[in-house]
Order: sequence, then structure tokens, then C-alpha cells
Amino acid sequence: MKGQVIVENLKKIYLSKQRTGLFQSRTTEVEALKGVSLEIKAGEIFGLLGPNGAGKTTLIKCLTTLLLPTSGAAWINGYKLTEEDNAIRASVGCMLMGERGLYWKLTGRENLDFFGALYHLPAGERRRRSSEIIQRLHLEEIADRAVESYSSGQKMKLAFAKALINDAPILILDEPTNTLDVPSARELREIVQTLNQEGKTIIYTTHIMLEAEILCERVAIIDRGEVIAQGAVVDLKQSLGREKVIRLEGVISESALRAVEQLPGINRAALAMLNGHNQLTVVTAEESNLLPRLIETLTQHQALLQRITPEEVTLEDVFIAHTGRTLADNTSLQ
Amino acid sequence: MREFVYHPPTFRQKLDAALAETRLRLINISRYPGQLVMEIIIPLVFASMPMLLGRATAGADAAANFEANTGTTNYVAYMLIGANIFTIVTSAFWHVAYWLRFEQETGTLESIYLTPTSSVTLLSGVALHSAIRGVGSALIAYFIGCLIYRVNPLQGDVLIALLFILVGLIPLYSLTLLFGAVVLKVKESNALINLMQWVVSFLMGIFFPIAILPKVVQLIALAFPPTWMINGVRSALLGVGFFFGEWYLDLAVLWTFLLITPYVGMWVFRRVENNLRRNEGMGQF
Repeated sequence: MKGQVIVENLKKIYLSKQRTGLFQSRTTEVEALKGVSLEIKAGEIFGLLGPNGAGKTTLIKCLTTLLLPTSGAAWINGYKLTEEDNAIRASVGCMLMGERGLYWKLTGRENLDFFGALYHLPAGERRRRSSEIIQRLHLEEIADRAVESYSSGQKMKLAFAKALINDAPILILDEPTNTLDVPSARELREIVQTLNQEGKTIIYTTHIMLEAEILCERVAIIDRGEVIAQGAVVDLKQSLGREKVIRLEGVISESALRAVEQLPGINRAALAMLNGHNQLTVVTAEESNLLPRLIETLTQHQALLQRITPEEVTLEDVFIAHTGRTLADNTSLQ
Repeated sequence: MREFVYHPPTFRQKLDAALAETRLRLINISRYPGQLVMEIIIPLVFASMPMLLGRATAGADAAANFEANTGTTNYVAYMLIGANIFTIVTSAFWHVAYWLRFEQETGTLESIYLTPTSSVTLLSGVALHSAIRGVGSALIAYFIGCLIYRVNPLQGDVLIALLFILVGLIPLYSLTLLFGAVVLKVKESNALINLMQWVVSFLMGIFFPIAILPKVVQLIALAFPPTWMINGVRSALLGVGFFFGEWYLDLAVLWTFLLITPYVGMWVFRRVENNLRRNEGMGQF
């Protein structure tokens, strides 16, 4: 089946000013996308994963016509990017910038009505769609209150509602569960799944790999402006082959990490902070033989281990296997 | 997979989107009623200052001295017209340029650029809102001012005066587009608008006839549509004299501005818009 979204070798270079003094700045070129190619099939939930600053939002902004790509091509719903931009905008529902994309002095319902008019919906249909979405997202109680009085989570929900107003076949959701509490995030994911079952193609960007594993059939992992892995979630995990993942939690120093990296049998190792302590993720091909040597090396480097867990391979491990870094590392391009 | 076929918007749909933009702005300002009251008071205070200064310096001869230089003894209406047309002009600059900057900062500019409504349609809606507010508060302030200073607000040819205001609005908003493009480019509005409004007030002669300006400055002032607007209204109501002698000749000049400036304004605005999309994007501030 031909993709509903096709991206071919998309590059984006922009100029960025770096302040060097009070009235001085230096202009530098930033290569935010380095030839990204993707194909997203109709009716799938496709995850765009990567750490902050990886280029996910730049890609989304290019696909939603907010930014002009420097080179490459893309087709959304069969419409060519840069040539049929209005058709692309009409065929996509977007949730970008979260709560910042709303008018805070207006009520939730007034916001939905306004954006409905900008998608050229007739007044009657706008009212019907707004009420339907408000009901679906359980926003009835707050719909007629000014957005400025909403909590952060309620604003995010309304931003999500705004993405649904034009009933587009493609939904692009950029980190939609940011600032949501756990039950609200779960509820939103369930709605995303339902919308997908109703036939919508969904592009879902997140830096939370677990979320992508729950929702997405296929994903592309982006890092430093490049797609470093792409495919079905199951295939990506299996691509690590017979590799095993061991997670060690406790107080683990950078020098301990470097010592572990030198051990034979270690394919990759990455250190991250988790709930106030360190988590060392080790990708290896020989879990059973390695463990005693691993513990010995760490204790020699004053590590205090609290928990050791051999685990199933996750998408985060796929990311570590490709980059040698965890998602917590900021890979901002600037 | 559902089929999606894009149909370009009809004129009715574009109008509906522009009116939604106007409605949004009006709802927004309705939540700040104090500001609406201030928009009526400010031109009254603004006109009162030169009037009172004139009375203080010229005393009983104020009207006669004023007539010698302007062609009318009614310096009260002259100042009120000047201050109120200035209100229309300055609110046009504030509403368009500050709108762009404000939406850029709050994040809603990207939100509306995600929709298939063109920037021309959006700006038409913003301009309509601004015109309703600007003209509305100017008319109310003019009538209140005339009541306070006991002058007849409906002397002269009121319809011709209104015609000059209405025809002048389109070139005025086209100019604000050029200005909006500058604001988008330099990412600053307040200082620019503040500077601009004083230059504009000087060039259009809000408290004096431009004939007293040096020749070169007069030529620059005449290249500016609000100068024709303000003189047209004063000539129609107070008989101070049209630039070309007849009202329809002056109006023809405003029509010429009306036919040219929207294209220039849109062309420049679109170039800046594309330039931003090629680079860091509309939302970057």
C-alpha cells in the first residue's frame, strides 16, 4: 500500500544567531534535518521518537507547512509539500505547542468554534463538532469557562480537542501527554487508539519510549536530525538479535561507566538519572557470564548497587544500541 | 483509509473565516471594557491640549488667528477631527503590528498558520476588527468632544467626510501590512509603533495644516494616504480647502492609493512570511 505520508530525503538548514556579547551575535548554520526519509501507511499509528532537540518538531513543522524544507520532498495525503500547502493544512489535524496554541481569554468552546471557522467549516457543523469533541474529551464542565482558568492538563486536553475540529484523516500529535497526570495521559492514549480504530492515521511524537511501545505499530527513531532506526516496534526490538539488556540501579559514577565500557562482551552501556539514583543500562550478548565481572568492576569503582534486573529489550534499548546514549541526554543541535 | 479531497474555500467560506477573526478580537476586547473607555477618552484629552494652549496664547483672537492660517475659525472641530483621525490611524498600526507580535509571543500565530486560511483572509479579519474599534471610538469621541466644547459636529458635508474615512481605510491597512512585515522581521513592535505614530502624526498634520511644513516634508506627507484622509474630512466638514480644489479629485488620489497599496503590502508581507518559513519559522520570537 502506498504511504499516506511520504518523506524523501528531507533536509532543513536554518540560520541561528548566537549571542557573543551585549550587541554582538554570530550567525551559524544549523542542520536540523539531515535527509530524513519516511513512509507512513494509512490507518497506522506511527511514532516519531527521539530525545529533546533530535529534530522531531522540526520535521513535524516541515510536514505541517510551518517551515519550508531546504531540500527533499514530501507528500501528505497525496498533496505535495510546498506546492499544495493549503490542501495539506486542511487534511491534517495538529497538536503542536500544546497549550500555547490557544486563546486564553476565550472559552474552550469559543476556541473550537474559531479554529473550526479557519478550517472553513459552516457554523452549524462547527457547533456540532465542538459539542461532540467536548463530550468525547469530557470537557463539558469547563467548556464555557475562559481557558486562562484551566489547569495545565485541561489546557492540553483542549489543545488536543482543537486538533480534532476539522475531522482530518491525519492527526499529528507532538508530545500530547506532556504536563498530563497519569490518568489523563492514559485516557488520552485510549482516545488516540479509538481515533485510530475509526480510521485516522496518527503521527505521534514522544520522547517517552514506553508510550510509543503502547501505542505505535511502527516507529522512526530520530537523533541529531537523522532517522537512525525505522520499522515495526517488534522488528526493532528483535534487531538487537540475541543481545540482552541488564539494568543496574544505585549510586554509579561516570568512571564506573567508563570501566564497564571497557569490559569484553559489552556492546553498549549508558548511564541515566532515575528517581534520584543512577540507572546503568548494559546491552550485552552474554548476560550470564558477564554479570559477576560487571558487579566486580562496578564495586571496584565505588558503586553502591541497589537492584540488578535482566530485562526485556525496550525501544529505549534500541536507541541506546544505536547511539550509545539514553533518551535523557539532551542532543540539542545547537 | 478514507478519501480526502481538498476543495479550495469559496468566497463565502473566506468571508466566514475573516469574520471569525474579527469576532475573536471583539470578544477578546469585550473582556477589557476599561480599555474601550480609554480609547474614547484619549483622543479627547489629546485634542484638548493644543486647544487650551491656543486659548492661552491667543486669548480672544484665537479663532481669528487660526482662520488666517487654516481657513476656518472652528479650531475646536479642527483639533477634534485631527485627534480622532489620528486615533483611527494609530489603532490600525497597533492592532495589526501588535497583533502579529502578540500572537507570535503567545504561540497562537503558529496555530492559525496551521489552518488552510490564508494570511490575507486573517489580516482582513484583523483589519475589520481594528476599523470597527478605531472608527467607532473616533466617532463617539468626536461627538462627545463637540458636546463638551459646544460646537456643531454635523456641519459641512458629512457624507463626503465619511467617504474620505472609508476609502482611506484600505490604503491605511495596506500600510500597516508593510509595517507588520517589518515587525515580523525585526521581532519588535512596541518601540517601532511608538516611533511610527509620532512620525505619522507629524506628517498627516493632526494639529496644523501641512502647508506650513517645508516643501520637501510636504511632498513626503502627501505620499502618505492618511494625510489625504484627514484633509478630506476637514475640508468636507470645515471648508479648509481640498489639496486639488475639488473633493472628488482628492478622493481620486485616495482611490489610486487604494488600488496600489494593497498589492504592495501583500507582496512585501508574503516575502517576509516565506523568508521566515525558509528560516526559523513564524513562531520564533
